[in-house]
Amino acid sequence: MLNYIWAGLIILSLVFGIVYDANDLASDTYRNGESYALTVSAAPGADMQSRRIPVTVSVNPEEYRAFYGSTSAPDTSFAGVVIQNQEGLQLRFAEDASLPEPWATIRSQTSERDNDLRGPLEDWDTATGSATVTFSAVRFVKMRAIAAAALSMAELAVELALGLIGVLALWMGLLQIAEKSGLIDSVVRYTQPILRPLFPDIPKGHPAMGMIVLNLTANMLGLGNAATPLGIKAMEELQTLNEDKETATDSMVMLLAMNTASVQIVPPVLLVALMGLQINELIFAIIIVTTISLVVAVVAAKLLGRMQRFRSRPAAVIASSESREG
Amino acid sequence: METIRSFIEIASVFVLPLLIVGFPLYGLLKKVPVYEEFVEGAKGGFKVAVTIIPYLVAILFAIGMFRASGAMDFLVDGLRPIFGLIGVPPEVLPMMILRPLTGSGSAAIVLDMINQFGEDSILVKMVATMFGSTETTFYVIAVYFGAVNIKRTRHAVPAGLIADAVALISAVYVVRWMFG
Repeated sequence: MLNYIWAGLIILSLVFGIVYDANDLASDTYRNGESYALTVSAAPGADMQSRRIPVTVSVNPEEYRAFYGSTSAPDTSFAGVVIQNQEGLQLRFAEDASLPEPWATIRSQTSERDNDLRGPLEDWDTATGSATVTFSAVRFVKMRAIAAAALSMAELAVELALGLIGVLALWMGLLQIAEKSGLIDSVVRYTQPILRPLFPDIPKGHPAMGMIVLNLTANMLGLGNAATPLGIKAMEELQTLNEDKETATDSMVMLLAMNTASVQIVPPVLLVALMGLQINELIFAIIIVTTISLVVAVVAAKLLGRMQRFRSRPAAVIASSESREG
Repeated sequence: METIRSFIEIASVFVLPLLIVGFPLYGLLKKVPVYEEFVEGAKGGFKVAVTIIPYLVAILFAIGMFRASGAMDFLVDGLRPIFGLIGVPPEVLPMMILRPLTGSGSAAIVLDMINQFGEDSILVKMVATMFGSTETTFYVIAVYFGAVNIKRTRHAVPAGLIADAVALISAVYVVRWMFG
């Protein structure tokens, strides 16, 4: 299943990217190579011989919409400078100016570092201010974006994983103490009767059950930082019961389903930070929704596990099929 | 109601410190060499973090590409009529698609909608409930299964996604019922 979803995401992003870019090319969204007429007036008292002339750029919104066939409403005037050198004049909009589409995209594609929209200025009549500007051609926006996203997300994945080291170490250390002192065993003893039906393949008194209880509790209390290491520890315990180390067991899937749908008595910290006091109104809505989804998750994990295509294959079958594939 | 709520709030503040102090304290009482055992256990942290890297890279880069490709706009347009039939407002569709894929991306949606509609808006209440009610399923799968090197995840993805779908859709109804 994950194979298909994973490949699907990658292939679809390529397909959508190509469609998007082809559409851009066909409709010439960025009017590549065409010059745009606007009014550039130098600031009063500016030295017209200097290398940098501060200017105000005026844009007629109707002309803009007609030229680009867009619906965005640009501001009528922008701050900018005109740079003079041997090659001629260049108009640069102020850095980080709020630009309408498609100018904003042209800027992000052509001036990534300085974040100012720029282009050679021609036919500048300093008396009336009328002039034309031509921006660099913009093509294959989405293709570039896909490649950039793949690289930056790969980097982010490592950052996320390494960022977990400290919290993981803290909790795994604490859990080691809890295990050696027999604390986990008592958790197992008291919660076993309730959770046993959900995890029938965990033997009585096994520490995996204790880790699962701690993980689910941390999750309910919105302690994401603690829940992840506890969940990982629970997975490690479940893995010791697993005969085929590369295939998930029913209990692992059940734990995962209960985690993705866990009842939240206390909302996650991030949401509290985003919503402020408004969160109080939502606590009961969240409890109701998560209770529904927990029931669905448990039922789905149980029922899907019985389906032929999700059956865990006995070790012997895997060995023979792998030797055939190899 | 109010007292239960404040009790839960206070409890949630105390759980963490109590656990962090409680485990070693209980260990001491049981005559466990707490410091040695802590260090022994903590050694595992690095190994686990490194083990999950390939799984996390695989999942995150695929999701990143998908988001960057503009596929979201197509999906939202395509799904709008279907979800309209069951009464889901189109504004919350991007959240429903992104939630299982990315945590930071869906938090950004909540923030964006707060700026756009204000915290009191029912749409914001819907997306905030969605955010609080579900996990980033693909991240959890990558981390939990990655930590023990499980490659064949069997029915974990469908079970997780079914639960997500139910949570996301019932968030719309529950919020409308409570605040609509």
